[in-house]
Amino acid sequence: MQEYSYASDKEINKSLLKDVLGMPKWWLAAFGSLLLVWLTGMGAYGWELNQGMGVTGVNRPVYWGFYITNFVFWIGISHAGIMVSAILRLTQAEWRRPVTRAAEVLTLFSLIAALTNIAFHVGRPWRLYWIGPYDFSRGIWPNIRSPFVWDPSAVGTYLIGSTLFVFIALIPDLAAARDRATGFPRKIYAVLSLGFRGTPRQWKLQAVAGILLSALVLPVFVSVHSIVSWDFAVSIGVEGWHSTIFAPYFIIGAIHSGVSAVAMLMALMVWLWKWDKYITPDHFDSIGRLLIIVATTWFFFFALEWIFALYTMESAEIALREWQIFKNPMGPLFLVFMITSYFIPVPAWLFKKVRRSPMGMFITTILVNVGMWLERFLIIVPSLQRRSPLEFDWGSYAPSIVEILLVTSTFAFVGMGVLLFAKVFPLVPIFDMKEGVRLRDEIQVGRRSVPATIRE
Amino acid sequence: MISSRSVIALFKDVDSAADALDAVRAGGFESDEYEILTGTPYPEGAFGEDEPKHGLYRYPLVGAACGFIMGLIITAGTQLAYPLVTGGKPILSVPPMSVIMYEGTMLGSIIFTVIGVIIESRLPRVFMGAYDTRVTEGYIGITVTTSEEKISKAEEILKKTKPEDLKRGWEQKDFD
Amino acid sequence: MSDHHNNQPLGFYADNPEWTTPESINEELVARHEAKSKYFKPILLALGVGVILGVIGLILRLVDGVSDTSKWGYTAAVLAFLLTTASAAPMVAIAPRIAKGHWRRIISRPAEMWSAAGLISLLLFIPMLWVLPSLEDGRRSLWFYHPGEVFAYSPHLWMTLSLVGLVILGFALLWISALPDFALLRDRAEAGSKERKRYTWLARNWTGATGDWIWQKHRLGIVGALYFLMLITVHFLFSVDFLMTLVPAWIDALYPATHAVHALQAGAATMIITMFILRRFCGYKEIGHDQFWGLGKLMFALSLMWFWFWMSSFMVYWYGKRPNEQQVLELFVKGPYLPLFYANFILVFVVPLFTMIWNFLRRSIWGPTLISVSVLIGIFFDRIRVYVAAYSVSDQSAEFHGIKTIPPTVYPDVADVFIVIGAITAPILVYMLISRVVPIINIWEQKELLLYKLHKKYHRATVMVLGKPE
Repeated sequence: MQEYSYASDKEINKSLLKDVLGMPKWWLAAFGSLLLVWLTGMGAYGWELNQGMGVTGVNRPVYWGFYITNFVFWIGISHAGIMVSAILRLTQAEWRRPVTRAAEVLTLFSLIAALTNIAFHVGRPWRLYWIGPYDFSRGIWPNIRSPFVWDPSAVGTYLIGSTLFVFIALIPDLAAARDRATGFPRKIYAVLSLGFRGTPRQWKLQAVAGILLSALVLPVFVSVHSIVSWDFAVSIGVEGWHSTIFAPYFIIGAIHSGVSAVAMLMALMVWLWKWDKYITPDHFDSIGRLLIIVATTWFFFFALEWIFALYTMESAEIALREWQIFKNPMGPLFLVFMITSYFIPVPAWLFKKVRRSPMGMFITTILVNVGMWLERFLIIVPSLQRRSPLEFDWGSYAPSIVEILLVTSTFAFVGMGVLLFAKVFPLVPIFDMKEGVRLRDEIQVGRRSVPATIRE
Repeated sequence: MISSRSVIALFKDVDSAADALDAVRAGGFESDEYEILTGTPYPEGAFGEDEPKHGLYRYPLVGAACGFIMGLIITAGTQLAYPLVTGGKPILSVPPMSVIMYEGTMLGSIIFTVIGVIIESRLPRVFMGAYDTRVTEGYIGITVTTSEEKISKAEEILKKTKPEDLKRGWEQKDFD
Repeated sequence: MSDHHNNQPLGFYADNPEWTTPESINEELVARHEAKSKYFKPILLALGVGVILGVIGLILRLVDGVSDTSKWGYTAAVLAFLLTTASAAPMVAIAPRIAKGHWRRIISRPAEMWSAAGLISLLLFIPMLWVLPSLEDGRRSLWFYHPGEVFAYSPHLWMTLSLVGLVILGFALLWISALPDFALLRDRAEAGSKERKRYTWLARNWTGATGDWIWQKHRLGIVGALYFLMLITVHFLFSVDFLMTLVPAWIDALYPATHAVHALQAGAATMIITMFILRRFCGYKEIGHDQFWGLGKLMFALSLMWFWFWMSSFMVYWYGKRPNEQQVLELFVKGPYLPLFYANFILVFVVPLFTMIWNFLRRSIWGPTLISVSVLIGIFFDRIRVYVAAYSVSDQSAEFHGIKTIPPTVYPDVADVFIVIGAITAPILVYMLISRVVPIINIWEQKELLLYKLHKKYHRATVMVLGKPE
């Protein structure tokens, strides 16, 4: 079944550090092309800074367009890491071992990508520091009663928390890299690994920290997307936003798209780094099962949101829903959203063959994320596009080329981030894999041997 | 401990390392003088070692208290310093304050936990002392760090347990 | 209370050192099942008195008639409380069984047996069919878009079907899970005896053939999953059509999910208290730290979720400041039921938060038990606060999107107190009666564990090895 369970420590070091200490052939090409896409986006950003927000498609009354959609999307993806890593740590799921770090790293870079969307979105990003409690010359303080001040406090906490989480879990692997590296990299790894030697005390604290930090980061993770959802839900002026379900609905949506993104990344890890020995069909199977539950819970909340929107019997709300489903261009987008986020992937995951195949999981999880991006778009734009009673002017929204380039650049940015991380640090936790080897066992029941785990 | 000497013996399998540890203990060395080095966590007590005691749980509580107070100062302080009523919400509105105070509390406890993990792990360590890079390759290291006079005795004991390799050095230096 | 000092290691699934062979497990557990305590009958009698009081209360209530909904608030609340506690307790068996958690084995049967309490919910539900107004007077419901578009008794019909479905599924789950144990009791009973006949009938033709076991695994998984889905449906329908629709401005899309999350939390609390009683008073010492620790953690997580769900609803209403939403907050939180809200908030959230963060409490037997008592009382207050308030709103028409006047606090009268006593004692009575027929510990699941668990030396340490079968 899981071949790595019989690998020696030396082999595990070799295969997991190979591309950290050496340079895989495809790496430069992959990184270079992503860099090109990103730089194109940055060029567009320069243009936007120079010309002002007029180069985007946002206009009265649709002030929030692609950037905010993309912000919410990346915040959603960022929930992957901590969800997969913290929950699976707390529940002692063995299959977490090879994927925890990749998931956490995805969290880091998608959070940064989310924040860059805010910089794209605000007209004068050089004044972003105004949301901080800083008062040396202005004589005013930020209004903490505004959800836009809650946002940076939550996202900042999450970013700092998950960075530290990644760092703590990385220390033993930095030590392994230090022991294998030579020259200057060795010095860097030596400093970063803080002189870790692997005493029972250090391992014990590593284990306790894994559990404790998981338990501390989870409530932060829940608060982050709740607060992002309140950016919408606490306002009463926009139809379709003022719903109590938004916080849990956004969270479960984030988990849906985030865990899907992790499954997608797992397939890439198998293909690019050839870690099929570590990430086996069993792992895809487990994440596929998890996704069925997550997706169905998400669908329940989605249904609740709709049921209660119709239950209000308020004409404006009903009109918005009709516009979302039956009118162009939102109707077709809604259809694509529905079938890609639920009605293709979930029935597909019911088949073991799909769950166990990297390609099957890759395709279905990409579909989920196409759908989940559209979900955010369909929450934000149609609601804003509706004319409300006191509005003097209204129009529709279409993204400009600048917005499209910048949104694309965030995907390149996250890709670059993960590639760069994997070039410098081991993307699969080495010590965790070695521990997994030691804790694997088998129990003989008659003629059959059942996979087993040693529990302390 | 400035001039303390160290010795490290490397073993390939767990049982011989555990035997070596027993021998070191039997030789009269205290638990602060010997250490086990492994490249991966083993189930507690696999070498017959004592359970490490730590006080990590104190850190997040202290951090949470600090973070909560910071959050309170920022939220209450800024509102009182600039008392502008917006959206019909009173100055010192508890629900919005609770959001930022919550984040402050969590941030404080996470940062303190991380600091606690590092301090309680006895890190950072400037010199590696008795160490060998083969530890991260699956070898198990038994080290004894003690005074000049006793180090030969430790070396003697470890030699008898037939290690794969045995090295002597200074605690306050890198070994290789 | 020596439990606090008991340093039994975690992860050993509360072993009984004598349970090393299937025979010893059979002997011991069948003997315990057949043993009769001298306290059994007196307790049964006491509970019977409670049930009689409940019946009297119900009759008194019915004499008042069903037209004034405000008189039925407490009945609705205690019915919701039963759906939230006893009906949710079987989830403690279902969820870990699907996740293949071995620690559940010793508590799966006590959890499943709570599904029998559904019978009492069903009985209490019958008068509610008359209490809830039909849709003919223009009351809002989940089931129509414009008045007159659906059958006027749609809420009544769908709720009845789902509640009946839940009760049937609950009994099916209990019966299927007990089949191999019934067969064991059948085979051990004397030929021609009353027991022999009873268990022959209950065990159907269970022989333990491979096919039987394969079916057993699938049936338990499927019926368990269906029970969960039906539980969510029941909470959804009951919280919308028997609660929210009575308050015109209460449009809270999250509330049905909140109602269900409360059920998971209170279900875990119910099981922890059940486990404590089984361990302390019924001699099942094998229910130990693993179970209390596992469930205690779950209940703690659900307490945090309680706050999150509450805050999600509260923040949106509080911040929006729409007049009709302020009225809802006034009715349920700030107004006539404020003391109940405080008690609810403290008992369900504050107490678990500030106790369960301490490791020594989490890892004890009495810690989680006391906190479960707190949670159950808190949830009981919550149900009273919400249901009594909602049933006291007088104008329930859909025409006006708000509450015209906030009704004053409704205090319980004698009939209400009797109904509450009856509704709480009756499920316990049913539970005790069923325990005379169904072994309270799942015997076959203990024997199955023997196959997948072993303790061995790992160099100098003793470890447990757990197998996870496909």
